[in-house]
Amino acid sequence: MKMKKMFLKPSTLVFLLFALVLSIVIPRVSQGYSMMVMNNALIFCVATFGVSVMLGLGGQLSFATVSFMGVGAYSMANFCSGRHGFKLEPMPALLITIVIATIISFLLGLVLMVLRNTYFTFASIALVQVTWSFYINYKPLFGGPDGISGVSNFRIFGWTPANYNEWFYVLVVVLVIVSLLVERIRRTQLGRSLSAIRDNEIAARTLGINVYMTKVIGFTIAGVLAALAGSLYAMHGQFVSGDMFTFERSTTYIIMAMLGGVNNTFGVIVGSILVTMLPEWLRFMQRYLQLIYGIGVILLMVFMPMGLSGLASSLSKSVKRRLKKAKKGGAVS
Amino acid sequence: MDIGTLVSLAINGLAMGMIYAMIAMGLILLIRAVGVMNFAQGDLLMFGAYIAWWLFVDLELPIYLMIPASLICYAVIAIVFMLTAYWPLRNATYPAATVISTMGAAITLKELATIFWGSYPKMMPAIMKKPNGKAAVIKIGKITLQWQFVLCIIVGIVLIYLVFTLFEKMYVGRIMQAAAQDKYAAELIGIPTILTTAATYIIVVTLCSIAGTMVSPIFTITNTLGTIQLRAFAGVVIGGFGNIKGAIFGSLLVGLIESYSTIQFSQYKDAVVFLTLIVFLLIRPQGIFGEKIAEKG
Repeated sequence: MKMKKMFLKPSTLVFLLFALVLSIVIPRVSQGYSMMVMNNALIFCVATFGVSVMLGLGGQLSFATVSFMGVGAYSMANFCSGRHGFKLEPMPALLITIVIATIISFLLGLVLMVLRNTYFTFASIALVQVTWSFYINYKPLFGGPDGISGVSNFRIFGWTPANYNEWFYVLVVVLVIVSLLVERIRRTQLGRSLSAIRDNEIAARTLGINVYMTKVIGFTIAGVLAALAGSLYAMHGQFVSGDMFTFERSTTYIIMAMLGGVNNTFGVIVGSILVTMLPEWLRFMQRYLQLIYGIGVILLMVFMPMGLSGLASSLSKSVKRRLKKAKKGGAVS
Repeated sequence: MDIGTLVSLAINGLAMGMIYAMIAMGLILLIRAVGVMNFAQGDLLMFGAYIAWWLFVDLELPIYLMIPASLICYAVIAIVFMLTAYWPLRNATYPAATVISTMGAAITLKELATIFWGSYPKMMPAIMKKPNGKAAVIKIGKITLQWQFVLCIIVGIVLIYLVFTLFEKMYVGRIMQAAAQDKYAAELIGIPTILTTAATYIIVVTLCSIAGTMVSPIFTITNTLGTIQLRAFAGVVIGGFGNIKGAIFGSLLVGLIESYSTIQFSQYKDAVVFLTLIVFLLIRPQGIFGEKIAEKG
């Protein structure tokens, strides 16, 4: 008998229902500051998907996420704050930002992807340092140490999210689109080529994969996702400053991806939300929070390097094995 | 631009370069011995500086007690660091896991320092000082040099010389190199690799911490002192990945570039250093001296 191929796995279905319930419940129970942090978590999640594509699929450890978030945020801020004497509507500005980010990340990808694994990682650290020192110093484009304030709010078809709770729905929609996109990329030729490169570059080359171009495209996708997150961040907070784009910040995105499970769409979402929200939930032990976070990262790598989703899948496997055993036992007796 | 400024900038640059060289050397020793890129290097430096401050200023130990006490502290930190951030992960299947655990260790060290010593910046007194307590300077004609920078260079040279003698001339060093090159074969001929790894960690942490102690009179000690590790990373890559001589040369170069770039664009000195790194990576990715360890995978 042939198993009917299901459109959605049961675990996926459960998770989707859970997410749906949460996205209805959360805006009802929280507002103001805690809602803002939640929204930030969703924005960071979009950028973390970029890390997931680069590190999870391509196996390339890149710190450049914050550089491209900066590209997105500052481009949005320049077009939509009126500091150059003109002000664009948010939607066209967003499109222009995406185009700019695509071009910049593609060109940088062409340059940086010449380098192999560790060298590429170092080059991405260097890129973060270069962009950061421009972001906090260069006044005409990036506002210098004061940053840029007065970025106009998001607007689509004449509707503007009035508060953080309405922003939440916008971000949920964006996140759903992005996660479907990334999930799709995993199943295309591009995603499989990236995984092949991660597992064995030489073997991938013998299969006729253009290793260099595939990596460049992966880098571009990661860059565009980060820039999208950056522009959302600019519109959401209506303020951009350089301390969002430091090297320390970029390690956070990698930790978010690793916490949930770098190759798992839900894992990425859970990881970003956990890393961003834990400081809020554990406010009562403020003093030791960062310490716990640091120790937690080490413990995480020791006990579940594939993140929470890895833990979940190995748990479900062992449960299934037990169930099978129990069934077999029942049939025999 | 007169000659005095040029020379004193060169000395400042070389002094900072020596600090970066000590971090870089530790980094490469670890990469060679255990294959881990240690992102906690800078925070180990910061922690070492705090410990020196604590022993010297807070507890007011005399210098002949403070030096052995601090060395014992560094050894303890090294062992704890190894047993937590490396040992449980030595057989990890996912290569990024060990790197990320060192990032976790970096956060932990930073927070421990804040919890122990507070977030208020600490001043380490200069080692050579005038009777009125200010940092002493050397004057040769028009050239004015700060003693602290000169001391950094001297201490750096001495430490680097000691590490070289250990690894090139001494029996223990050869054992450690053998264990680093092929752990399995080394174990077969009876080398206790856990001890050699621990020894490597102790050397690395001591190097970093002494570097931290040397810079602390120049900068104040805060928990963000660790960020200078990134420039040491730049030095490692410019010099040649996995090549100690290259890393020292590269770090000195980074120090000089940083120091001279303050003449023209002091705000952008980081950008200058790291743009140099990117240019180097593109023109000569194997570094000035070439690489000794091949890229794995």
